Amino acid sequence: MPMALIELHNLQKTYRVYQKKEGLRASIKGLFKRTHKDVQAVKGINLQVEQGEFVAFLGPNGAGKTTTLKLLSGVIHPTSGTASVMGYTPWERENDYRRRFALVMGQKNQLWWDLPAQESFRLHQQIYGIDTKQFQNTLDELSDLLGLRELLSQPVRELSLGERMKMELTAALLHSPEVLFLDEPTIGLDVVAQHNIQQFLKYYQEKRKITILLTSHYMKDVAALCKRVVIIADGRIQYDGSLSGIIDETTNRKLVTLQFANPITDALLESLKHFGDLVKHEAPRVTLEVTRDDVPAMLTAILDAHDIDDLIVEEPPLEDVIADVFARVSKASEEEPFPDEVS
Amino acid sequence: MNIGFYLIVFQYTDSIGKGTGWGRDEFFVFLATTWIINSLVQTFFMPNAQQFSELIRSGNLDFALLKPIDTQFVISFPRVDWAALSNLFMGIILLSYSLYQLTTRIESPLVLDWRAILMYPFYIACGTIIMYSVMITLASTSVWLGRNQTLYNFWFYITNFSRYPMEIYQVGWGIALWAFFTFLIPVLLVVNIPARIMARPLNTMTSQMWQLASFAVLATLLCFLFSRRVFVRALKSYRSASS
Repeated sequence: MPMALIELHNLQKTYRVYQKKEGLRASIKGLFKRTHKDVQAVKGINLQVEQGEFVAFLGPNGAGKTTTLKLLSGVIHPTSGTASVMGYTPWERENDYRRRFALVMGQKNQLWWDLPAQESFRLHQQIYGIDTKQFQNTLDELSDLLGLRELLSQPVRELSLGERMKMELTAALLHSPEVLFLDEPTIGLDVVAQHNIQQFLKYYQEKRKITILLTSHYMKDVAALCKRVVIIADGRIQYDGSLSGIIDETTNRKLVTLQFANPITDALLESLKHFGDLVKHEAPRVTLEVTRDDVPAMLTAILDAHDIDDLIVEEPPLEDVIADVFARVSKASEEEPFPDEVS
Repeated sequence: MNIGFYLIVFQYTDSIGKGTGWGRDEFFVFLATTWIINSLVQTFFMPNAQQFSELIRSGNLDFALLKPIDTQFVISFPRVDWAALSNLFMGIILLSYSLYQLTTRIESPLVLDWRAILMYPFYIACGTIIMYSVMITLASTSVWLGRNQTLYNFWFYITNFSRYPMEIYQVGWGIALWAFFTFLIPVLLVVNIPARIMARPLNTMTSQMWQLASFAVLATLLCFLFSRRVFVRALKSYRSASS
């Protein structure tokens, strides 16, 4: 069987973290006897990604998304498990591998703060050994797409957050990587800048057919870009499939909004609560959350009994569904009696 | 500047220890060598070692690790502290002046040997590499220590021993110090070997000194390989601070 472009088998990463109680006494005690806690950031991830896929990692803070990307880019070593990206083991940090991928982190910047981005780009050209003509073409293309032409000779510290992020992306793409890891590339950006970066990534990925793994907290990024979504929570993969599949798989609820022709009485509200949970009441509209299978029966009953001006049946918002998944996972992990703690 | 301090010391004595051969002008060759090596280290490596510590602590070493080029190279050279280079010129001036004094004195003037002139820069380079290795080793420990703010102090304590002729350690319990800083952390060889070769006639070098000079070459190599190993181990344990 041919290997997938990216393969992870039971990948685990445990950090040993020093624990200190507050106060001077505890600080002194810490000099002699240190208490550590093993924090399992990644608890066994199995994943396969094919060439040309655009995959989103979703998950709450501390779920292990970034750790997974750092493992895949060889920045850190795993505690156990294997990974292969284009046939390389990332943490062996082979130069051949490092020439073929890129990592962009929304929270860290690699461009020289006091110098224009152009200078950092030149350094990249030398480090990656990019042919001058090809370098110029790539840079022209990227700066046109991202609208950066005028900003290349401006010190990085004088750029806005959005402009800086675009520069970071440009720096990462100069050597035309085949695999791109994006860790929250739109964090803290305004709607317009977010949209620009989404459009750019979409265009670039479709044109170059590169493989991209993205983490983001913005559902819009994910919906715009990724067909495949992997939900990571509590260091494990909780879901792997299409975005719309999350809703089918994890919730059997629908939102039903009814617009009544006549004033809504308390008695009417009470009677509606038999069908499902009342979500919102803004006369003349009422929104209910109803079990999917009950929707036809409910609609028949209500349409028979009342004058209805308008009617909407929709999926619950994606953010809510995913928040539910996160909450379920974190509740389940709290019930484990701290198996990870040692001293 | 500490040259004034030494001038005062030499008002009371002719040499550092009787029979050691380190008279005033010989010692000033030694001092100039110290300045030259220290300024090379402080110009080219000190800012980078400190930066390396900070990269580890802040997690920004990530980017150095992503580059398809040797990581030790990437972190060793990005910054140059040009201000520290002024000591190099001061060192060269002091060296020239002291050599002039030594070669023109009436009583047994020093004759410059071309072999000494060739070996001097070679051993300066060896000394700089030893210092660089000690520094990179110290900076690498930031990976395990998390925060290493006193790097500079620690560096100062260790290299403090390299600032004086090794003869002064060769009495009593000083021998233990001498052995430690010659064979375990060979900072004592850094200045001593080139200074000895330059300041005094080669034909008066004892066979023990020649052995030490040969050992200095080996020590340079071993130090560099050791620091390389520590560096590679450190990169393995690098945790990449949260982001």
